[in-house]
Amino acid sequence: MDRALTLWAVIVIVGALNYLSRLSFIAFFAQRQMPPLLARALRYVPAAMLTALVLPMVVVGAPSVATLASPRVIAASVAAVVGYFTHNTLATMSVGMAVLWGLEAVLR
Amino acid sequence: MRHIAASPDFREGFTEMLPACLGLVPFGAVCGVGAAAAGADMWTALGMSMIMFSGAAQILASQLLAEGAPFAVVVLTCFVAGLRFLMYSAAMAPYLKSLPARWQNALAFLLTDQAFAASIRRFDAKHDPRGGALHFLGGGLALWGCWQITNMVGYFAGNLIPARWSLDFAVPLCFIALVAPHLDRLPTIAAAASAAFAVFALAGLPMKLNLIAAGLAGIVVGTLVDFARERWTAR
Repeated sequence: MDRALTLWAVIVIVGALNYLSRLSFIAFFAQRQMPPLLARALRYVPAAMLTALVLPMVVVGAPSVATLASPRVIAASVAAVVGYFTHNTLATMSVGMAVLWGLEAVLR
Repeated sequence: MRHIAASPDFREGFTEMLPACLGLVPFGAVCGVGAAAAGADMWTALGMSMIMFSGAAQILASQLLAEGAPFAVVVLTCFVAGLRFLMYSAAMAPYLKSLPARWQNALAFLLTDQAFAASIRRFDAKHDPRGGALHFLGGGLALWGCWQITNMVGYFAGNLIPARWSLDFAVPLCFIALVAPHLDRLPTIAAAASAAFAVFALAGLPMKLNLIAAGLAGIVVGTLVDFARERWTAR
């Protein structure tokens, strides 16, 4: 498939699927209770899925002493601690970026 | 339309969202850079940010397409990452029940991680469905507008941003900010830990299928631990 066509197909299909997910219980199943098992499983979607997305962006290559002692891993760990205690997106991101820049400046 | 934009609830929602918008500037820019790297022209990049309106889905789609993953894998991975919207939708539904369908449809489109967090707080604080909806609309539109601007900035100016700024690091940081506050319950920690283990253990899988497999593994483990803990405390 042509690149532009593929991109538009992804935009339309993923856009529609995302919109249907967002609309699901607000519109279609408004009168219905969510099945208890589904409700329970969905509670763990953000923690599981976002962790799976984040780690390969932070740890470059297979985990080892060398890859885990990198500035990115340290900065991400500090950011996670800040996020855990402050619940503040801006603080988490600022501290994470500041730690990364600091470590990279020192190590350069 | 004008009376909506003039209402204090709308304005409050809009202005309260501005700090979060600031935090999303690098994330939006990285999404724009990703769209350019995936070979999108300006209108396609704009289509991604306007229609998909989800940083996680946009980043995943750009990366997977740039790596040549098959269409079905791209759609499936984005869909699983977007399953969290089902949960947000269910949590939001009781508050939006009394609103006209038009409002429900519009607000559902604006339901993102940040908008959800801000409006659920507001709905919980005040028992006022109309005011809460206006607040939600204000915050949601602030995010949507800011998202288009930052994506376009990234798309056009991405190559001007020096690599040593490590702007791409804003993406994992944004997700960390979303996840970290919830790591205070055992099942959630178990879900994150097993996803972390699986994503590296399965790194050999082609087409980044390890992402989706690790996500599903984490969901299953989190749910099982939740059940086990309930059993344990019920005894």
